[in-house]
Amino acid sequence: MGAEEDNKARFARLITPYLSHAYRLARSITSSPTDAEDVVQEACLRAFRGINGVADANARAWLLTIVHHTACTWLRKNRPAALISVVDVAAVEAKQAKFDEQDADTPETALIAKSNRARLEAAIGSLSLPYRETFTLREVEGLNYREIAEITGVPIGTVMSRLSRARDQLDDMIERKRL
Amino acid sequence: MTNSTPSSSSDNSIQLVHAYMDGELDLTAALGIEEKIAADPKLAAERDRIIALREAVQQNLPRDPIPPTLQRRIENTIGLRQETSHPTWRTLAASVALAVLVTSSSTWLFLDSNAPKTMEGAIVAGHIRGLMASQPTDVASTERHTVKPWFNGRVVEAPHVADLASDGFPLIGGRIDVVGSRPVPTLVYGRRKHIISLTAVPNAGRPTSGPSVSADNGYNIVHWVTNGISYWAVSDVSASDLDEFAKLFRATQS
Repeated sequence: MGAEEDNKARFARLITPYLSHAYRLARSITSSPTDAEDVVQEACLRAFRGINGVADANARAWLLTIVHHTACTWLRKNRPAALISVVDVAAVEAKQAKFDEQDADTPETALIAKSNRARLEAAIGSLSLPYRETFTLREVEGLNYREIAEITGVPIGTVMSRLSRARDQLDDMIERKRL
Repeated sequence: MTNSTPSSSSDNSIQLVHAYMDGELDLTAALGIEEKIAADPKLAAERDRIIALREAVQQNLPRDPIPPTLQRRIENTIGLRQETSHPTWRTLAASVALAVLVTSSSTWLFLDSNAPKTMEGAIVAGHIRGLMASQPTDVASTERHTVKPWFNGRVVEAPHVADLASDGFPLIGGRIDVVGSRPVPTLVYGRRKHIISLTAVPNAGRPTSGPSVSADNGYNIVHWVTNGISYWAVSDVSASDLDEFAKLFRATQS
């Protein structure tokens, strides 16, 4: 029992503190709270099985890497269309239409600051998966480029271009449709 | 995925503005891009857009915690929550925490009476380490919208960051210091050619208290408590300068 007990204590110490990060990332990738729950649960089992292989200082990025892989595998199996989604401007605009018309003359930056949660989530949710995930890891989770590159398995240069293009697209949506 | 081709020579600078706002540039590169931003309205607009978007995210997108039912399910699956006579991980963790509390030399962090002296030593040590390093910051930026988010995920609570440049205390950046065995956020400000380290130690339960001035190893120290957070400003600037800095910073907290 000794070794197994160690693994449990190790999981509790290294992984439990980052479960909320894992959940938010899974939700960002799958765009669904329900799917995110399945993904996080499966990712945690994988993490538990591999808990001996992780260095203490790296636990958060390690867990999020597992969540990234688990979520992408899950999407390929269950919703392959989600992996090739592009920005569906019409859908976003329809979703946003009800929010407001009154901001027509407000400067763009003021509009962005005014965006409420639903608008912002819809705009971020309409980004394609790599942009959405990169933006979330940076602006919501506060990770640096190196960590994001490690988690999403791409070079830092790709992280940079995804991030600036994600921001551009969000700005575009806000500008065009007064999100 | 599509790739766009860079269309103008300033694309690289725009990319650098993003990297700068993300706290990814070293001090030299950060200063370089700050000059370009000051000279080029297009780059300044790019910076403003990043700030506006970031503020919208921070204000409107709460960092939702994992649903408690999901956390319980995971803990059950892995066996962290067994209904047996074995101690659960929670009680194990509690007893370990208690043992640490009783035996560790960091006990002073939690027990009050002698706290300030030792804490002061650790914070002055952090300041000196910062001065000895090649640069006193882990993230170099005069932009508080870059410095504050940099702390997210590195420390429990990102500190309040005030812009005091117009008062002669420009923000230089931030770094993580270790006090006891805890990572704590330190903001770095400039005063003429001198460096001021402002360390914010979460200290729930401490009553709010006004600034008190002391000295240690030739460094002046101003200490105060606001909203359960202990602030320590350390510098070799004069006590009156440091006191003024503390006053200005505290004024932005109310």
